[in-house]
Amino acid sequence: MSQLDPTLDPALDLSLEAPRRIRRGFHVPGWLALLLSNTKSRLGLAMVGLVVVVAVIAPWISVADPNGFSLLAARQAPSWNHLFGTTDQGSDIFSQVVIGARRSLLLGFFAAALATSTAAVLGITAALLGGLVDDVVNVLINIFLVIPPIPLLVVMSGYVQDHGMTTMIVVLALVLWAFEARILRAQALSLKSRDFVDAARASGESTARIVFGELVPNMISRIAAAFVLVFYIALLVDAGLEFLGLADVSKTSWGVTLYWAQTNSTVLQGEWWPFFFPGAALAFTVLGLVLLLAGIDEFTNPRLRSEHKPHRSRLRMLFGGRLATREEGVS
Amino acid sequence: MRWFARRLVFYVFALWVALTINFLLPRMMPGSPIDGILQHLTPAQLAANPGIVKTYEALVGGGNNSIWQDYITYLSRIVHLDFGVSTSHYPAPVSQVIGQTLPYSIFLVGVAFFLSFLIGTGIGMFAAWRRGGAVDNILVPTFMALSAFPAFFTALLGLYFLGLKAGWFPIQHAYDNGLSPGFNWEFLSSAFRHAQLPILVILAAYTGGWMLNMRTVMINTIGEDYVTMAHAKGLSDRRVMTWYAGRNAILPPLNGFAALFASAVGGLVFIEYIFSYPGAGLTLQQAVLGNDYALAQALLVVLSVCVIVANLLMDVLNLILDPRLRTG
Repeated sequence: MSQLDPTLDPALDLSLEAPRRIRRGFHVPGWLALLLSNTKSRLGLAMVGLVVVVAVIAPWISVADPNGFSLLAARQAPSWNHLFGTTDQGSDIFSQVVIGARRSLLLGFFAAALATSTAAVLGITAALLGGLVDDVVNVLINIFLVIPPIPLLVVMSGYVQDHGMTTMIVVLALVLWAFEARILRAQALSLKSRDFVDAARASGESTARIVFGELVPNMISRIAAAFVLVFYIALLVDAGLEFLGLADVSKTSWGVTLYWAQTNSTVLQGEWWPFFFPGAALAFTVLGLVLLLAGIDEFTNPRLRSEHKPHRSRLRMLFGGRLATREEGVS
Repeated sequence: MRWFARRLVFYVFALWVALTINFLLPRMMPGSPIDGILQHLTPAQLAANPGIVKTYEALVGGGNNSIWQDYITYLSRIVHLDFGVSTSHYPAPVSQVIGQTLPYSIFLVGVAFFLSFLIGTGIGMFAAWRRGGAVDNILVPTFMALSAFPAFFTALLGLYFLGLKAGWFPIQHAYDNGLSPGFNWEFLSSAFRHAQLPILVILAAYTGGWMLNMRTVMINTIGEDYVTMAHAKGLSDRRVMTWYAGRNAILPPLNGFAALFASAVGGLVFIEYIFSYPGAGLTLQQAVLGNDYALAQALLVVLSVCVIVANLLMDVLNLILDPRLRTG
């Protein structure tokens, strides 16, 4: 601990009391407290949380078999019997939407996890090794940014015969990793030349220790932002592929419900509910993730904050203080 | 100029990699796409085109040639713009099908993207200049919410509410039935009418991205010393905003052009599908569904080329706006 440590500054000491109390009282982990302290990420978290809860309890709240046929109940507008109306096969759209949330969320989550970890591993490796490896990764990233991703995915999903969950996750991750790899590489590059990394290297720490002890903790908010970004892109793209009929349309998911709505041209017959509810569910989830992302971005770039508070929020102070401690403490 | 030369080399390289990926994709996937193609042709059609099987083998693999021979044949065919015969539009060659559909897409995405850039950066610039003003508090969140909407959902909403219910726009196809494409007033005005709603949807989907980028960079730029200096010189507010802060702030968003344009070309697939707009996107979707891999593959090449050309144009613009690139 050096003299520059902000916790020793009497003016800032008071502001650090509050978060400690919160953490002691409710045992809220630090990162969650941080997300809850920002209006945008709080709202985003609530929206995404709601969708996740609905997906988890889906089997208990769905009123009918999502793929059940009933010609008597076909093409009904929303009513108390069928909250979201019925398809032209008489399936209950409410059940399709709540059950479909599971497949859509799982696919998006795992595709985002795979794409983000690929981006982080490649970005950090390229930045650390430099030279030829860095050049190759950099060119690869730029090439993936000029090949239009959706046409590429459309063509790829035409070639793959099996449209199972695992295949789709791998295909999505393969196309979407480049989005954030560039930013993560740039950030790793700039961190690499900081004093505290030099200090760690000078004191003989292993590369693994430098990566996981010094680089990753400082990049974690950007990695989290990358994950959220790719998560919603994957959700959109996957639903889009299903909508185009290029996925397994026998499963239940938001995109598949949209696909049947489009295939049977229900819109042109004046039926709005078959496309509206799955589309709105998707838009709701994506909006939640976008707000969450905006919140995370505001921690990393304080200038973006829209609120005009006279003082910095206490929790942000804690975060800023921690980062400073880390850097000053090492150097 | 060295910077520009480096970009050119990169684009040529990127094009080569895109072509190679396109060549390898059908060969890496399980199953053999060539059977899918050939089952769409009758024996009589095959007999009428003696070289056709060889062409398809070079394009998607499945023949007895070594992969290197295929690769050479593939590249030379692409250079001669010979992508084989489309099975779904038999007997039209793939290049002809693309020639008929691509102009619609270029028109749609070109106009919409240019407009979204103008509107988005304009609003972003102004919102940052007057933080917390009416534009910042109303237009920014509105466009942000719109851009978070899935493009196909916005398109469906527009189709239903503005097209079908309100009847303000035609909802299907690129021009009125009964007209044939040509350079006459009747056709062009009909084509323009039919493009309005798709263009509005693309605007709704992509303006937010430009706006947010521009606003973010602009907020950082406003704090720079040269902006304060410009104010101190007594320059008008508008001149400082556009010519001092805005001109510098626009460079980073322009560099994000590649990813945004590539995604807009992708969004085109959905929008054309929903509006039955006979462009390259709709053709791509139908080619893939109908196992017409020769057409699908060629469309992917052509769309990649479009994105590369658009990037090249943006680089030229960048060169004009940023004097540092000219000397470096």
